Amino acid sequence: MAPRTPPAIADPPTVDPGSFRDPAGLVFRRDGTLYRQVHQAGAADWDVYRSSGLHDRLVADRLVVDHVEESLDLAASPGAVAVIRPRLVEMVSYPYEWSFSQLKEAALLTLDLQARALDVGMRLKDASAYNIQFDAGRPILIDTLSFEAAPPTEPWPAYRQFCEHFLAPLALMAHRDVRCGLMLREFIDGIPLDLAARLMPGRTRLNPGLLAHLHLHASAQRRAANEAPPAHDTPKQPRRVSAIGQRALLDSIRRTISGLRWRPRSHWAGYATTTSYSETATASKGSLVRGMLDAVGGATAWDLGANTGVYSALAADAGYKVVAWDQDAASVEAHWLQVRGDGRPSILPLVLDLANPSPAIGWALEERGSFLGRGEPDVVLALALVHHLAIGNNVPLAAIARLFARMARYAIVEFVPKDDPMTRRLLAARRDIFDSYTLDGFRADVAATHRIVREDRVDDSPRTLFLLERR
Amino acid sequence: MPFLAYIDPGSGSMLLQVLLAGALAVPFFFRRVIGDAWHRIRGGRGTTRPDDGAEDATSDR
Repeated sequence: MAPRTPPAIADPPTVDPGSFRDPAGLVFRRDGTLYRQVHQAGAADWDVYRSSGLHDRLVADRLVVDHVEESLDLAASPGAVAVIRPRLVEMVSYPYEWSFSQLKEAALLTLDLQARALDVGMRLKDASAYNIQFDAGRPILIDTLSFEAAPPTEPWPAYRQFCEHFLAPLALMAHRDVRCGLMLREFIDGIPLDLAARLMPGRTRLNPGLLAHLHLHASAQRRAANEAPPAHDTPKQPRRVSAIGQRALLDSIRRTISGLRWRPRSHWAGYATTTSYSETATASKGSLVRGMLDAVGGATAWDLGANTGVYSALAADAGYKVVAWDQDAASVEAHWLQVRGDGRPSILPLVLDLANPSPAIGWALEERGSFLGRGEPDVVLALALVHHLAIGNNVPLAAIARLFARMARYAIVEFVPKDDPMTRRLLAARRDIFDSYTLDGFRADVAATHRIVREDRVDDSPRTLFLLERR
Repeated sequence: MPFLAYIDPGSGSMLLQVLLAGALAVPFFFRRVIGDAWHRIRGGRGTTRPDDGAEDATSDR
């Protein structure tokens, strides 16, 4: 990163609305730049974290985001001992938008960080899934204040949080239904273990790791909750574990997480190979989309209804950083594994139902941003999508266009008419109430929000591609 | 659960950890420490964990 001249302070700082729990520091913005401040309460741990060399090693291994130390004059509040400017990740995503393997990789990273911290007499003081982001194709810790110095004989205070944020959703996804991952949208502090234990199939009690960390864990919590509260002046009984016991516990959690697997079975994951497209049409559509992406000449694209990412790859080849959204967990899982295997760090597949996208959640609805509040790409791709929204979900074409206009200046949209086999399939079991769902109707309905820059018929297909620009 | 909102919800988790750490320490010691020493004696690379491999989030893929 280029060295910065001391900045002139213009605007007052705005504290990140999701950054209020940690007494050791906070995240804030000043003049549009994101900073993290270390309070006096976090000073000793911050010193150990850096002087032990842990930070440098974790940055070198790309497990923690790097930062630049900045002037204390920039601090958001008095008493700061350090101000850092973290490197920003390209796209902020949340656990309820991750596929099974993404959540599992984030879990394993968290455990690896805890093991690396133990090596230098530190530990992770929290194990929140929100501390992990996906950056250039892999998980990375963004909360550099997560480490604290602690004797190895103290139990891990983040054990419960780890189990609620990672183990419970992964176990439910693997053993009950992958859609249980969406419960994280409701439970911002992780899935309560008593609920997870009730939802898990009984046979999972035969798995020693799940028995210990999930079922017995839920029982232990219930038992503790039923105990009478200690008298006010009763000294806290310190609990102790052996150093090797600490490692053994971590090893056991790791084996339990590693042992969780999910094999996707989905209609959509095979969609790209079962569409009605001929080879001619596929080649034509590819070259038309590429031409439109080149005409936009942008840097970022959101591929809506990306499926397993055929056109995300095309956009990545055109030089775009791509976020590939799809509502089908199996498609996103397949896409993520493919992106991982091919080494395509410029594509981030995420789970999202566009008809009910991620809302803002948490305290004052400000802790986690909504889908629409997380950045504006240069272009959205809506290929083979509009007929699902319009006919599958009854969303008027004009409303779909308004959403695209809120999201990005440009939209590349494929119109799939009623005589297309895929649209006929959608209409097969229902009354056709979509009189205005025609090519002329589409042109008329997008006119309020967009100008049609290009309109090209796909060869050997009834479909039409549009490049739209927001008015 | 009459006191649920007023107690430390982590107390059950802390107690369970103590019990699990105690129970897991001995098999862990034999598997890891003795196992590694045995690998070294036989010319292996010591700390390699055969069950990790592909699942290791820290490996550079």
